[in-house]
This record gives sequence, structure tokens and C-alpha cells, in this order.
Amino acid sequence: MSLVVESITKRFGRVTALDGASFSVEPGRIFGLLGANGAGKTTAMRIVLDILRPDAGSVTWQGRSNLDLPRRTWGYLPEERGLYTRMTVMDVLRFFAALYGVPEATATALVGEWLERFRVPDYRDRRVEELSKGNQQKIQFIAAILHDPDVLIMDEPFTGLDPVNVGLLKEAFLAMRDRGKTLIFSTHQMETVEELCESIAIVDRGRVVVSGTLRDVRRAMGRQVVRLAVDGQSADGDGTGWVTEIPGVRLTRRGQDFHEYAVDTQTDPARILQAALARGERVTHFEIADPSLEEVFIEHVGRRAVDEEQHHLADASAGATS
Amino acid sequence: MRRLFPNAWHVAKREYLVRVRSRTFMLLTIFLALIGFALAIAPVALRALGAERPVDVAVVVEAEDLGSDPIALLSAALNGAASAPGGSRFELSTPDDPAAAESQVREGDVDGLLTIARDDDGALAFTYLTDASPTGQTALAVRQAASALTIDDRLGRAGIDPADRGQIFLPPNFEAVSTDPNEQAQEDGVDYATRASLATVMVVLIFMAILTYGNWVAGSVAEEKSNRVMELLITAASPLQLLVGKVLGTGAAAMTQYAALLAAGGIGLLLQGEIGRTFFGDPAGAQATSGVTLPMLLVFGICFIGGFLVYAALYAAAGSLVSRAEEVQQVSGPIIVVAMIGYFAAIFFGTTSPESGWVVGLSFVPLFAPYLIPLRMAYDAISPVEVVLALAALAAGAALALWLASKIYAAGVLLYGQRPSLRNLWRASRVAR
Repeated sequence: MSLVVESITKRFGRVTALDGASFSVEPGRIFGLLGANGAGKTTAMRIVLDILRPDAGSVTWQGRSNLDLPRRTWGYLPEERGLYTRMTVMDVLRFFAALYGVPEATATALVGEWLERFRVPDYRDRRVEELSKGNQQKIQFIAAILHDPDVLIMDEPFTGLDPVNVGLLKEAFLAMRDRGKTLIFSTHQMETVEELCESIAIVDRGRVVVSGTLRDVRRAMGRQVVRLAVDGQSADGDGTGWVTEIPGVRLTRRGQDFHEYAVDTQTDPARILQAALARGERVTHFEIADPSLEEVFIEHVGRRAVDEEQHHLADASAGATS
Repeated sequence: MRRLFPNAWHVAKREYLVRVRSRTFMLLTIFLALIGFALAIAPVALRALGAERPVDVAVVVEAEDLGSDPIALLSAALNGAASAPGGSRFELSTPDDPAAAESQVREGDVDGLLTIARDDDGALAFTYLTDASPTGQTALAVRQAASALTIDDRLGRAGIDPADRGQIFLPPNFEAVSTDPNEQAQEDGVDYATRASLATVMVVLIFMAILTYGNWVAGSVAEEKSNRVMELLITAASPLQLLVGKVLGTGAAAMTQYAALLAAGGIGLLLQGEIGRTFFGDPAGAQATSGVTLPMLLVFGICFIGGFLVYAALYAAAGSLVSRAEEVQQVSGPIIVVAMIGYFAAIFFGTTSPESGWVVGLSFVPLFAPYLIPLRMAYDAISPVEVVLALAALAAGAALALWLASKIYAAGVLLYGQRPSLRNLWRASRVAR
């Protein structure tokens, strides 16, 4: 049975943070929650964790309401990182493990294992404040999983990590998934989602605009992507005119290596190749693909996730100064 | 409803260990212990500094044919049973040269010069020259002694035998009987001054504990919020578990510190006699401890803990409302005001009229009971039944404060960057779990 979030609505005064948002996550999968800042991702996570109560709607995991589930069901990595900075790594982790009922000996052994896995075994007895931000983040990830939760919920887990640590964290995700855990995380980074997630939900202004498996979400765009390169493109101007004459084909991106075209589902992408061959073009690159997640996001939200964030920040600072 | 323990215990343990291991805690504890010790041995130390040196009075007897030895009689009157407890001792001398004695008084080497003469009627006439206030306590005592000498002289001149005259000056057989039989049984020599100082010490100790350790609780909650550990905590444990753990852990650290203070003070009191014997040849009385009984210590302990719980819960709620540790002072202002109202009510009115109706009424209000119950007990102005009832009210108040504070806390910890106004708080309390 899956995690089912059923039309949750949450208002803070006049602001509607979530407006009937629904999505579901299959157990043992990695699920991506996409959306700009302020879209409602964090609020949704907090409601699943029962830190906040929704005005309407419900959350169930394996058929049980989240209000009845024990806290150790969930592991949580909040977006705002924070640990007791003056305690040692081992003491902090043991403390959180104890709150979840993990015996001290078990916690100590697990901490050792995870520090080893994250290649920082000698941080055990260092004070948290002596660690870099990235390493503190790894410690916080360990704090979220020591009690072996069924569902791991992480708010922007990759933000602020260098590429090496991003790699380590991705490995950890896959290891958890392979042990049957369910992982939910929010991010702006589309490539990470494409790499890790089986399914996603895109949240915009408190609504889930699209959700499902990555594959289905891409297919539901109603078009495919064709990447095409031919020798001697300069033959007629920019060498694209003949392609876009085919009904249902639009040029979406010009590139040095290839151009990208959007092709309606009614149109067989193979017609482009046929047309090229009929014209006697020398085709050096031909690829049929589903739209990228980036395109899916822009299609549904109307903006890129990162642009949206800057927009949002600009709004926030304008609001603060007025 | 999740069980309070063991999570509250884990939170308390962490809070306690982090607190007592910090350098500021250790330094403050050592400092307080030193103060406690210093206060306890202060009476002995003051004597060593000469604050209680005897009053020197030079006596020049110009009058002749006095029936009794004037020096012996004056000395008995000045240093006898009639003199006030804790009053100065007098040392009398008879200088050979009155003029030299006079200049010694003017230079401050001698405290006073008493000249005894006879006037034309044959009555004794006294002149007291002093560098202190001529209407002060010392002059008053000298005047009383002079009148005793005058009466003795008049009796002698009236032909009463010296032996019989000695009988006249024996203290009276006097017993004060109270209309309240309980009052009478417990009166046993515990004088009013001792009760007042005991009550004041207890009220001050509780007031200091509330302000100091309450502030620790608020600061600690605010710190967890500002460094964002709060979001992890609130996922791992319920607000009530976190709040109770925080209050208990800080409370345990507070008790540790007070235990050090009281132990140092107790050792000082025990050593008082020893130090007095060693340095001054006579033990200085352990007067300050008289009037302290086991029930009173017990009630004081319960009031200390109960008062701390009530106020610490409110402080924790206040701490949960701010986003930065610097704002703690601002939100805890109202709590400090309430704590001060209780304190001043106890110090100014409780000590003067411990049996007045509103002092009795306020001792059933949990916010003020911690001051007023031990105070009324020190003045013996409360019945055992009332003590039990007032303590029950205090316990109920502490439970209520913790519950209420956990509601505010649950809402407050999610308020970031908002002014901690009542309106925001009300809104937050409705969105929180």
C-alpha cells in the first residue's frame, strides 16, 4: 500500500499554501516533489509528517492515517539544516536515535557504519561546529535514518553539497531504496530527478499540476522530441525550413551539434527522417525522445524552476523593504 | 496522546549535561558557592574587621560619697540582660586626666566621656560627650544606665541598705501569654527578627531562581529555534515531551547550582562556631539557622520546584515565540513583571502583615504561592491544612502551565520571522498540531 496524500488544503491567514493537493507514492520507490520556492512543497512535507495539520484532506500510509502512525515511521531532513553545534557528532546522533527509541549500542554501531560510508569515520568525536556545511548535512542525513524509518522525507537534500558528496548521497538513496524504503525528496534540480526518481509530482501555487511515473508524465505532454543533425545545414539558410514544413513539427532549440524539434503525437517522428532522406540530406544525428523534465516543468508551471525561485526571492525582498 | 517518558527524559538528560558541562555554568556555580560561604561566615568576618568592637566610654566621677561602685553598676546596666540582642558591648574606663579623655573623644579614639557630678540640690548630674549622635542608640543606653545609677543613689540617700538596693535591680519575672495556644507553643525563643530574615532569604532565593533559570529555559528554546534544530526535534518528539524535558533538565541544572550554593552556605554556618572559637576565643552563635525546621525546608523545596515549573513553562513558551535569541528579553518581559509583583508583594506586604486576607488569598494563586507559602510559614501564619491546600493548588497550576505552554510552544516553534504578537500566536496555535 502506498503513501496517499488526498486533496490537502492548508491556509496561513490569507495565504493558501496548499489548495487541494493530491499525489501518491508507491512503496519502495524514489519520489520527486518538484516546484518553485513557495509552491507548497515544505508545507506538504510537514503535513505528511504531522508537524502541521491540514485544514482539509488526509494522509495515509499503508492504509493508516498519519495521525495514528508512530513517529519512527518517518525520517525527515528539513530544508533548514540544524544540529546542536556544540555537541559531538556521536552525541548528537545518539540523542536523536534515543528520541526514536533506538538502543544506544545499536545507534553507536549504526553511526560508525554510516560515517564510514560517507568517508568521514574520524568525525565521530568532533564537535558539529567544527565540520563544514556539507559534512554537517551528511550528519543530519544520518540523524534522519538511524531509526530505520519506512519513509524518508527530505527537503532539498542536495542543496549545498559538492559533486562528490552529491554522489555519496545518491548512492545512499539507492541503498535505502534497495532495502525497501520509500524516499520522497524535493528539489529544483531536474537532472537529479531524472536520474533517481521513478515518479514525481509538480507543485505550483499549492496545486499538484501533474503527477505520476516520470515516463507517463513525459508522455502526457502530447509530443515527442526529435534531435536532428545533417551535414551542410547551410544549404538553405539555417537548414531547418524544410523540417518545420511538416505538419505538427516545431523547432524548439537550435544547437551547434543538433537542432531540437517538438513533434505532436499525431505526427510520426519518422516522417522527419523520411523527408530528410527524400531531400538527399546526409543525416549525422537522429534521435527520438520524450520531452525532458525541464520542458515538462515549463509546460505546466509556465516558468523554469530556477527563474521562479529568483522571481520569488525578488518578491520577498521587495515585500520586506516596503 | 504520546507517553511523556522516556523522550522527556532523553531531552532533560541532554539539556542537563550540556548545561553543567559549559564553562559559564561552572564559573557561575563556583562564584555562587563562594558568595554563599561568604554570607554564612559574614558575622564572624565582620567581627574580625572590627565592625562589632566594643564601645569605649570613659567615666569621670566628680560626685563624692556614691553609695555603690558606679562603674560596676553602669557596666551591669549597659551590658546586662536588658540590652538589646546583637547590641554593642560597652567597655568602661576611669581616666586619670579628664581633659586628656575629652580630647581623646574629640579625636575619635574614645567613643564617649561620661561625667558624673552632683548639683547644688545634691542630685546626680550627668554630662555625656560623644562623637556619635547624641540622640542615637548608644546615647540612649548610656542615659538608661545613668538613670539606674540615679535611682540607686536616691535610694541610698533615702537610707535603703546597699544589699537591698541590689535586689531592686534584678530583672522582673515576666511572661507574655498569647491568646492563641499554638502560637504560644511554637514561640520558643524564635524572635521576630530571625523570622523576618528567614522569610526574606527564602523569598529572594525563589525570586532569583525564577528569573535566572527561567531565562535559561527561554534562551535555550530560542537557540534551538534559531539554529533550526527545532524542526528535527518537533518531528522526533511531541511538544509536551520537549517542553517538559527542557524544563526538567534546566531545573536539574538549577538545583545542582543551588545545592552548591546552599552546601557552601551550610558549611559556612557550621564552621562559624569553629572560626569564632579559633580566632576570637568564643563561638559566634548559629543564630541564623534557628527557626529552620524540617517541614519548613520541605515546603520551601516544594515551593522552589513548583514555582520553577510554573514560571519555566511560561518562559519556554515565550522562548518558542522568537526567531532569534536576542529577542528573548522582549517576550519574557510580562513574565518578569508577574514574578516581580509576587516578589514585592511578599517582601513589602507579606512580611508586615502575613495574616491579611489578600496575602492569604494570593498564596493560593500558583504564580504567587511560591513566595507566600514559605513566607507565611516562616511567620507561623499558616495552618498545616492551608499549606497542603496551597501546595496542591501550586501543583495543579504547574501542570496547567506546562500543558498551556506546550500548546503555545507547538504553535510558536513554527513561527519564523513573524512578530510574536497575540494575533500571530492565535493563528499559529490553530495551524499547529
